[in-house]
Amino acid sequence: MSQFLSRFAHGGCVRWGVANLISCTAFLSGLILLNGCGPSVNRYALIDQSLLAGDPARAAEIVEQNANEYGATSRLLYGMDRGITLQLAGRYRESNAELDRAEEEVERLYTRTIRSETAAFLSNDNALPYEGDAYEHVMINVIKALNYAAQGQLQEALVEARRIDHRLNVLSDRVQETGRYRSDGFARYLTGILYEAAGELNNAFIAYRNAFEAYEAMSGWSRTPPPPSLRSDLLRTAEALDLTAEFERYRQAFPDVAFESVPAHEQLAQVILISYNGRAPRKEDRYIDLPVSVDALQLVLLNRGLSQSAFQRNRAADSLLYGINGQVVRVALPRLVSQKTRVPFEAMTLTDTGGRAVTVRSELAHNVTALAEKSLSERMPAITSKALARAATKFAMAEGATFGAVQAAGRDIGPLVGLIVGLLTKGLAVASEEADKRSWQTLPDEIHVARAWVSPGLHQVSIQPSGQGKGERLLNLDQGQTTFLIQRVME
Amino acid sequence: MRQSNRRGLALTACAVLLVSGCGHETKVTRVDAGVVTDLSGRWNDTDSRMVAESMVKEALEYPWLTHFSRENRRQPVVIVGTVLNNSHEHINVQTFITDLERELTNSQKVTFVAGKGERDEIRTERKEQAVYAREETQKAPGKETGADYMMKGTIATILDEAEGTKAVLYQVDLQMIDLESNVKVWYGQKKIKKVVEKKRTAF
Repeated sequence: MSQFLSRFAHGGCVRWGVANLISCTAFLSGLILLNGCGPSVNRYALIDQSLLAGDPARAAEIVEQNANEYGATSRLLYGMDRGITLQLAGRYRESNAELDRAEEEVERLYTRTIRSETAAFLSNDNALPYEGDAYEHVMINVIKALNYAAQGQLQEALVEARRIDHRLNVLSDRVQETGRYRSDGFARYLTGILYEAAGELNNAFIAYRNAFEAYEAMSGWSRTPPPPSLRSDLLRTAEALDLTAEFERYRQAFPDVAFESVPAHEQLAQVILISYNGRAPRKEDRYIDLPVSVDALQLVLLNRGLSQSAFQRNRAADSLLYGINGQVVRVALPRLVSQKTRVPFEAMTLTDTGGRAVTVRSELAHNVTALAEKSLSERMPAITSKALARAATKFAMAEGATFGAVQAAGRDIGPLVGLIVGLLTKGLAVASEEADKRSWQTLPDEIHVARAWVSPGLHQVSIQPSGQGKGERLLNLDQGQTTFLIQRVME
Repeated sequence: MRQSNRRGLALTACAVLLVSGCGHETKVTRVDAGVVTDLSGRWNDTDSRMVAESMVKEALEYPWLTHFSRENRRQPVVIVGTVLNNSHEHINVQTFITDLERELTNSQKVTFVAGKGERDEIRTERKEQAVYAREETQKAPGKETGADYMMKGTIATILDEAEGTKAVLYQVDLQMIDLESNVKVWYGQKKIKKVVEKKRTAF
């Protein structure tokens, strides 16, 4: 690169004279400034607006219209965003087709290419294909399972349940440290619900037990205790399977929990509410400017004093300023900004034609924000060391390019060319530094679950708060049938 | 002059090479339907066909067939019931059932009757004939051939995966059940094992 810049300085700008040199500088400065600017409209703001307005079809459309903006490196992110918005729009088959592609992309991205790793090392991690976090991979199967369940295709939903089980088994084999994300209480819980709905009680009991253990194992950081319903589920299925020892153990552990037997439930119909509440956290850049001289330290301190926020900086101005100084190395790291839900629970009421009402309250089953925080904190040491190494490399390359340009330009014009090349290369090094802020932002902050068993027949369902403007609906339930309702509450 | 021509030729060649290297090319090759095409490691048409062929062949070699033919002086009537997908993949079970039906029909050793889904359509057609068709062409109800045996089963998978290498065992279990006595006259099992390896890094 230094050779290239030296030749460029020697063979290009020098021959053109000072006037051309200035215009050349202005053009390249413009490039730096442009490089520092992000997309003018944030697609997630538009998606959130549509979801808030109760128009998930529009949200799915916005994702599709922005396919080019996602680009080749964020194909997985596109599939995940499109998959969940299509689900909210009730287009379950299309959602599953999109999530199938996303899952294939996860498989494909297992193989990392040296070419993209090198490109990312010379610019930033956004040049890498978005691989997604482990909890996001699990969520792909969770959403697919819910899509099949919402269409009444329980056998297909069970395929996803098996895939979740396999994915989590591989994860727990790979991640040995117990304090890390290596199992998923909600995903296990959902598989239990699906197995029980399909009448596979033994598999349901195992899934419930695994879910309970996963919730317990994650309790240190997940901010999600095992849902109270899970205790009844364990007691009910253990009793039905005549697992005396397990039943007694759970009975002692939860002495106050009431439960109905499986034969009693078999006479009824079940309605399950899955409520996506709030918004998953977004990521921001956190810039750390490392001065390599006393002058640069003063400049960084002065610049920080002028900045209104420690995290939101004017990247273009910083690039120019630090480029001129030439003694500041910038490192960009991601930080999470949570977007918590304000809804602690939902109340679902089912009223039959005789006016008898059953009301159940939803329970927190999944805290996506806590998972995102855990995932980022686990990856942070690797991200930081990579960012520091990248910044040092960029600075060394800029120094080399400047030195080479000065030597090539000769004694007369050398200092001026050195100044310009230093401004460009060091400014570019600062401007190109950007944290990888990609994440599955269309996920909710929390997932709540409510389960109600009611007598078969026609029921009016009322959910408060309802989200998407579908507060009340009619359901005709058959004996033994399980119906899934999915809703999005943005507050 | 000759030198400039050579240079032009070289430049053209380079341009052609660059262009051919950049573009996305879709290549279509027509292959025989019997050619094994293992692309992703998932259950595919070859698995479906091979399993159906070998299991039906095996089922018809067992003594239940000759016993029935000898005792009743006719071929047994067989129907294909449910094949349950207990695997980790969204397998199109209907394709597999169709493969089984084709093998059973073409064997000429059993009489094969339409399954549940097809029967409903045929019965609807018969009902409509009773209203709309000429009397001499109408087909009367109650003359269907009842099956003697039902073939049903499951497709299951056992997965093992670590460090980018995945071993998948497909186990297909089929049973022939006497519809009168519930006796299982044949139990067949076919296993297919595949190993899928993925590299962690590539250029």
